[in-house]
Amino acid sequence: MGDFKLTTVEEFEAATNRLLETGAKVGADAWQLRVKNQTPHCKFGEQGICCRICAMGPCRITPKAPRGICGCDAHGIVGRNYLKFTAGGAATHSDHGREICHTLYAAAPDGAYKVKDAEKLIRIAKEWGVETDGKDIYDLAHEIAEMALLEYGKPFGFQRWTERAPQHTQELWKNAEILPRAIDREVSCALHMTHMGCSSKPEALVRQSLRTGLCDGWGGSMCGTEFSDVLFGTPKPLDTEANLGVMNAENVNIVVHGHDPSLSEMVCEYADDPEMIAYAKSIGAKGITVSGVCCTSNEVAMRRGIPMAGNFLQQENVVLTGACEAIVVDVQCIFPALGPLSKCFHTKFITTSPVAQMPDSEYIRFTVGTAAEKAKQIVKLACDNFKNRKPELVYIPDMKQKATVGYSVEAIVKTLDGVTNSQVDELGTTKPLIECITSGVIRGAVAMVGCNNPKIRPDQAHIELMKKLIANDIVIVASGCSAQAAAKAGLMDKRAKDLCGAGLKRVCELADIPPVLHMGSCVDISRMMILVAELAKDSGLNISQLPVVGCAPEWMSEKAVSIGNYVVSTGIDTFLGVDPYVSGSDQMGQWLTSGVRDWVEAAYTVETDIEKLVDAMIDRIEEKRTAIGI
Amino acid sequence: MTLFDRVFGGNDAVYGLTEAAIDKAIAEHGADQAVSFPGTAYSLPCYYSVTGTKVTNLGELKEALGVVKTLMTREKRLNDAFMSGVATALCAEFIEALKYLNGAEPYSEPLYGHLPDAIIRELGVPLVTGDIPGVAVVLGSAPSKEEAVELVKSYQAQGILVTLVGGVIDQCTEAGLNMGYSVRIVPLGKDVTSVIHVVSVALRAALIFGNVTPGDAGNLMKYTFERVPAFVNAFKPLDDVIVACGAGAIALGFPVVTNETENIFRVPKSLIVQEDVSKFNATSLEARDIKIKITKIDIPVSFASAFEGEIIRKGDMQVEFDGSRKDCFELVCTKELTEIEDHKFELIGPDFDTMEVGSKQQIAYIVNVAGKNMQTDFEPVFERKFHSYINCIEGVMHTGQRDMIRIRVSKASYEAGFRAKDLAEVLYANIKNEFDAVVDKCAVTIITDADECTKLRHEMAIPAYDRRDERLVSLTDESVPVYYSCIMCQAFSPSHVCVVTPERLGLCGAVSWLDAKATNELDPEGPCQVITKERVIDENLGRYEDVDEAVQKFSRGALEHVTLYSIMEDPMTSCGCFECICGIEPCSNGVVITNREYAGQTPLGMTFSELASMTGGGVQTPGFMGHGKHFIASKKFMKAEGGIERIVWMPKDLKDTVAERLNKTAQELYGIENFTDMVGDETITTEPEKLLEFLTEKGHPALGLEPMM
Repeated sequence: MGDFKLTTVEEFEAATNRLLETGAKVGADAWQLRVKNQTPHCKFGEQGICCRICAMGPCRITPKAPRGICGCDAHGIVGRNYLKFTAGGAATHSDHGREICHTLYAAAPDGAYKVKDAEKLIRIAKEWGVETDGKDIYDLAHEIAEMALLEYGKPFGFQRWTERAPQHTQELWKNAEILPRAIDREVSCALHMTHMGCSSKPEALVRQSLRTGLCDGWGGSMCGTEFSDVLFGTPKPLDTEANLGVMNAENVNIVVHGHDPSLSEMVCEYADDPEMIAYAKSIGAKGITVSGVCCTSNEVAMRRGIPMAGNFLQQENVVLTGACEAIVVDVQCIFPALGPLSKCFHTKFITTSPVAQMPDSEYIRFTVGTAAEKAKQIVKLACDNFKNRKPELVYIPDMKQKATVGYSVEAIVKTLDGVTNSQVDELGTTKPLIECITSGVIRGAVAMVGCNNPKIRPDQAHIELMKKLIANDIVIVASGCSAQAAAKAGLMDKRAKDLCGAGLKRVCELADIPPVLHMGSCVDISRMMILVAELAKDSGLNISQLPVVGCAPEWMSEKAVSIGNYVVSTGIDTFLGVDPYVSGSDQMGQWLTSGVRDWVEAAYTVETDIEKLVDAMIDRIEEKRTAIGI
Repeated sequence: MTLFDRVFGGNDAVYGLTEAAIDKAIAEHGADQAVSFPGTAYSLPCYYSVTGTKVTNLGELKEALGVVKTLMTREKRLNDAFMSGVATALCAEFIEALKYLNGAEPYSEPLYGHLPDAIIRELGVPLVTGDIPGVAVVLGSAPSKEEAVELVKSYQAQGILVTLVGGVIDQCTEAGLNMGYSVRIVPLGKDVTSVIHVVSVALRAALIFGNVTPGDAGNLMKYTFERVPAFVNAFKPLDDVIVACGAGAIALGFPVVTNETENIFRVPKSLIVQEDVSKFNATSLEARDIKIKITKIDIPVSFASAFEGEIIRKGDMQVEFDGSRKDCFELVCTKELTEIEDHKFELIGPDFDTMEVGSKQQIAYIVNVAGKNMQTDFEPVFERKFHSYINCIEGVMHTGQRDMIRIRVSKASYEAGFRAKDLAEVLYANIKNEFDAVVDKCAVTIITDADECTKLRHEMAIPAYDRRDERLVSLTDESVPVYYSCIMCQAFSPSHVCVVTPERLGLCGAVSWLDAKATNELDPEGPCQVITKERVIDENLGRYEDVDEAVQKFSRGALEHVTLYSIMEDPMTSCGCFECICGIEPCSNGVVITNREYAGQTPLGMTFSELASMTGGGVQTPGFMGHGKHFIASKKFMKAEGGIERIVWMPKDLKDTVAERLNKTAQELYGIENFTDMVGDETITTEPEKLLEFLTEKGHPALGLEPMM
């Protein structure tokens, strides 16, 4: 124990303020300044009652003007906006998944991309009824990749992955007509429904929102997760570090940012190449440090132990250290601000994807075929840029925490195997966790996900919620920027067990885990779906009966709304700390916080007071326990 | 009903009983009636260790119950269940304490009830070395007496200390099982509350070895969780009271294995339902991560450390080998690798079959060893282990050493087929197992032929012993190039470090400089590591920069300075398993030594337990020091304060044991003849004033020395 102490949000902020001083010196812009310029936000937009889907408007709903020109009321407008928001998120995750499928399709024994977890590929093939005996693993990979790609556009039938859900859940989905069909179809259908003159009935719009969410979580995202594991390895517990202090002033610093591991994996591979390290040394650096921001960071942290420099609202900070030779990005959640910001420093801002192209960046187009050479080119470029560093601008906050990451479902089950007793228990199940929950040792679990959002003091909600939950013997699985907030604070250090209640503490000690388990990036919330499905099957309970809830206290992106929809649809009550632009319609509010419960046995709770939000979650968990008599 | 509801219900029930019992006792005896357990310096040990408060009378016991009540919170969290479990245990302790009012002896043969501090100190070394790999608490009645006995014997055969509570005791008694501390089966009592007597052992271990501050409940539970390898086997039916006790056990880190399936919740590694009682053993060991050292030896009787204390009475004896009447000896000889055929056994003379039942015979066994890293210095180290090896054989008893050995073989073991080759097999297997790093080949010769025994004893054994003794005499702190650390006890006493020198063996009495050297040779990264002695600071105190650095390193910063020869200035720390303790006696300028076996009073006004409770746990307590018996006659014994002439009092038995060597040292150092005649003991007095009179009368040299303080 000894010197272990959490890093506080105040300390994060002090470090940020010090970096902003550097920014001010070089005339850099920052989100903190832009938030001021954008405040107050448009009230119509915030409430979701601004409609600009046709050119007759824009129409805005007020007490005096309760309907748009076409006659659509606030409920229809809010509902359509909500569905479009969901479709944006589902499209984004799923397209990421599609890219991974294409990468798998291109995998070759002598190529840049290989099959690292053949066992998992075979497991999936068997699940999909594909003959595996005697088949070359690459032939199998290509066959499965093609099948997965067909999930995006198959004319008939439903998403294959949904068969992983418990029977009861599948029934609910069928009965509510939200069992997702082809992924692209659900997104198209959503955009069709929101076209001028289509749906304006909240019930229908909410229903399609759930179905679109499901095609993400139990479709595109699951492809992204599962095939990333096949390609790059299924995560296992690994020790790493988090926060800006992981950058090394004496080394060439390359920061990977975005979501798709195809790029970041290759950059890590070449940064580790003896030839490149020798090159870095030849230009006066001591080595090469790759660190990450956002979910691409989660991906490489989970698989390679690459340290995490920060989460979403810390992306500008890595450049502000003055020690970042290159920030290499793929897709999603990348501030266009990085372009102009990088111009204030020596930093190279390298965009790589046709999907995410930005001004003031160096565009090195990355394709599966040229991955290796492009990655090498990027690493070399970063090394060459080391000499351009301005030493007077270099300041890396001495702030980092240890974190144990890499809790895929497979790793969690393996960890649970470690606490079984071979004389009485079977291996390979989630039963030990269920026993901890039913006996009351652990009260329940919370899936903490989502982003940062300047509307909430960054990371404060994530960290404070987690601290209170673990003190109440509630275990946390976390992903995305929420996971990084936990890691930066120290909550993924195993020593954080001492902040837990007696029950969770004992579990952490016996299983040798931190109280907050890092399950991966935002597409990896699909892992959480598989985990609850297994818990339900192993316990004989319905998912909705498990004392498990989801929470996105600082969410901001369209993806988060898509996620929320599939988490709720899976039967997990979901708690949001930011309103999803629906306050303008009481009917939509009613549907989301209560109406959908009739279909999927779960609903949303929106509570912007973080203290109340955590208490509401604890109460919900205890209600669920009482309901099943545990 | 949830698991927590059951714990809370059981806790409430026990609390009610306790309150009534205390009130009744106060009504009968008054609030001033003294309350205590015999043979402990820790008051009511559980309550004292959890709260830091000593209870001395019934009035205080009643107040203590009020404190217990504050632990009984009822939130739906494991902490509340744990604390209610602890509260239940404390109530049980109070109920048990009431049984001992007025010096009553509530437990009689075969029941033990409260276990004294001395037993815990004795347990230290075997728990550290794994000779006692764990402590089982078996509670309730097994489905049948056969299953009860089978379970208990299975633990016994693994060397596990088995404590019994409730119906299982009668089951074992009916089945005729030989029980008692010496064979590691300890029936505590028949009431469920008597389980507290083993909990009390675990908690005192934390105070004695772990230096946990009484009242520091967090560290107390951390210590037992991490370091006390105990577990519980509870037979169905489990009522709420037992479930509440179980919560207390789990709070301390002790898993509960039960065959109860009704209204029970499973908790991984903590509360395990095993319906098949025959698998309790394997389930429990796995749950507590207890590894049994596998010494499966191919002999017709059991071999386990549990049999080490077994006594073979004359009537049960098939044959006796008696070194006091016949020529007997045991000897290890180092040979060249080419001279030995591994695992060869040779018997010279008749086997046990032809020996008359109950007769006294001669025996000699020569264990020839060879290995690239073997050194003749290790011979006595191996040889000293023979006592333990042979004693671990079921139905065989061994005492003494060298050519003064006595071995008895029981009729039962003889009838089971135990013969000379089996004795050889035990020696062979253990030497190979334990000393595999230095012994590549080993062969055993047993001689029962009378003439051959006589001849070899005089021509081979005695000269070998003489050579070794000469070598031992030449081994002084000055003559050797290095010392050794010993941190074996750190499993229990995390900051304790022994510095072992030729003239100062480990305080447990079990690790001499040669032992440490051999241990280091066997495992260079192990508990005994080389400490150089090149940078002397003060020769008289035995203060070295090298030693300080080593002590800092091995205690991970807990200790900074240690002197080898002073008990006043930075004395060596004590873990808790010391054989003896010495403390300054201010009236006479001397020191009083007392040993673990002596339970009585000393002129310091404290018993061994009370003195020991002031030191131990790896902390330095100037003026008090734990040490081995052998150290008493050393020329380095508190040399900085004047040496052995400071010794003014010892228990008689201890004095007799060390007399010969102590007198020799006194003669050599100061020219005093029969020094021990000047040293007091309990037959003379335990009063300091009378001791001073005695010493004055004898002209004890300590009286003329500088005051120590």
